[in-house]
Amino acid sequence: MKLARYTGPIERLGESVLAYVRATVELIGLFFSTMAGVVRGGRPRGEVVHQMYVIGNRSLIFVAVTLGFIGMVMIYQACLQFTKVTGDFSQVGVQFIRLIVSDFAPTLCGMMLATRVGAGIAAEIGSMKVTEQVDALRMSGVLPVDYLIVPRFLASVVMTVVLSVVGGAIMWIAGGLTAQYSFHVNPALFYDMSLVRPIHLAMGLVKALSYGMAIPVVSGFCGLRAKGSSEGVGWATTSAVIGSSFAVIVLDFFWSMLGFLFFGASL
Amino acid sequence: MSRGRISGRVLEGIESIGGAALAIAREAGGMVLLLGKVIRALFPPSMDARELVRNLHKMGNRSVPIVVLTAFFAGALMVLQSAPFVQRLGATGLAGWAAGYAVLREIGPILIALMFSGRVGANNTAELGTMTVTEQLDGLRALSIDPIKYLVVPRVIAMMVMLVALTAIGDLVALLGASLIAKIVLGIEYSTMYHSFADNLSPHDFLQGIYKSLVFGGAIAVSSCYFGVSVKGGAVGVGRAVNAAVVAAAVSIMLLDFFLTYMNI
Repeated sequence: MKLARYTGPIERLGESVLAYVRATVELIGLFFSTMAGVVRGGRPRGEVVHQMYVIGNRSLIFVAVTLGFIGMVMIYQACLQFTKVTGDFSQVGVQFIRLIVSDFAPTLCGMMLATRVGAGIAAEIGSMKVTEQVDALRMSGVLPVDYLIVPRFLASVVMTVVLSVVGGAIMWIAGGLTAQYSFHVNPALFYDMSLVRPIHLAMGLVKALSYGMAIPVVSGFCGLRAKGSSEGVGWATTSAVIGSSFAVIVLDFFWSMLGFLFFGASL
Repeated sequence: MSRGRISGRVLEGIESIGGAALAIAREAGGMVLLLGKVIRALFPPSMDARELVRNLHKMGNRSVPIVVLTAFFAGALMVLQSAPFVQRLGATGLAGWAAGYAVLREIGPILIALMFSGRVGANNTAELGTMTVTEQLDGLRALSIDPIKYLVVPRVIAMMVMLVALTAIGDLVALLGASLIAKIVLGIEYSTMYHSFADNLSPHDFLQGIYKSLVFGGAIAVSSCYFGVSVKGGAVGVGRAVNAAVVAAAVSIMLLDFFLTYMNI
């Protein structure tokens, strides 16, 4: 008979830390085996295109609506502050597009995709896991990573960049319309891209690519860890949303910090 | 022949647009009806106190770590984004104003609400969804216990209260994170940041974020409960419901944020 062991608060803390460390190590392992799978090939024909449709096209309206509204809100708040201080709106548009290109478009789009795509991937793979379809794949000699995660990984890397560009453009236009109609800012003054330089574009691209890689790996990892039945799938989906949103925030911090340390005031 | 195929495609396209619009209308209507039922159940106020306390603990206290981490990074990011501007102009006194204003009014409430939706809202949908597919809700009804009063109302109240509390904590952490990163990266003293916050921000900025988080909490609660109780079809259905709930919560957070900002409450 196994006796119930008393676990103190320190032991519990240590256990949860160990669990996190173990999960992180496994996650990094999954990332490398995904990369190996990308090189190795052997994914089902047409699956990447199908996943591009599911991840990209079907998120388009969601991303457009959320980023459009947040662009309007940001410009509204910024103009409100400028009215209080100087009343000079000449800087709003130029700075806004600089921030959109280097940060807002990829990061906000990444947050939105972490919610929608992350939950979708985890729900799908998690359901396959609890109905033992993943084991069936393994039994027929197919690596689940190659079959399930690699196509989503490739599709998400491409589509995050595409959706960031589209979302950023919608944010810019929506912000411009708000500035024009609520604060009477001249559109010619607002839609001015003179401050955007290649380094901003590179920052935005690096961020979008890294989010595109992180989201499917984190949520695929959560999906593959699903246990039990419907409760396990629900739990996997929840942790996928949290994990991939948090990955986006941490990566954003990492790249912004790196960019500022290397380029400083010229950014 | 080819004309028939093309018109068939066009019809299919129109059908799918109409189908999507109908589905959105059905879900939005379902959520509004659920909100109506919740409000109806509050008069006279009768709910399960133990369920309320359990949910307050589970949704609030246990979300503190993720909210604190998110808020810290949010504050730090706002300073990093304004850093090139501040350094070029040498306007160290304005760093706190920009970061504080953005955090208190927009970034803080929105990011914390999105994380809360991911952690608590999704979890809640999964829990209610599991109860629905295992027919526990019908069991409650058979015992003449109203599932709305017993399960939904305590959750809605707990989420609204706890999101407000978590946003208040998160605002503080975000301002601390902003000060820390400003010190490390830009070498701005803590006292300069403090005065920059104190001189340029008003209680109104903080309160606007708090009002927003109250509304966001309600939106997350209603969408997560609605998708939870209307699950169909086993484990696959639960996964799909969680996905739909977080998407609906994210859209409603952004839409409500826009309207609340525009009304300038």
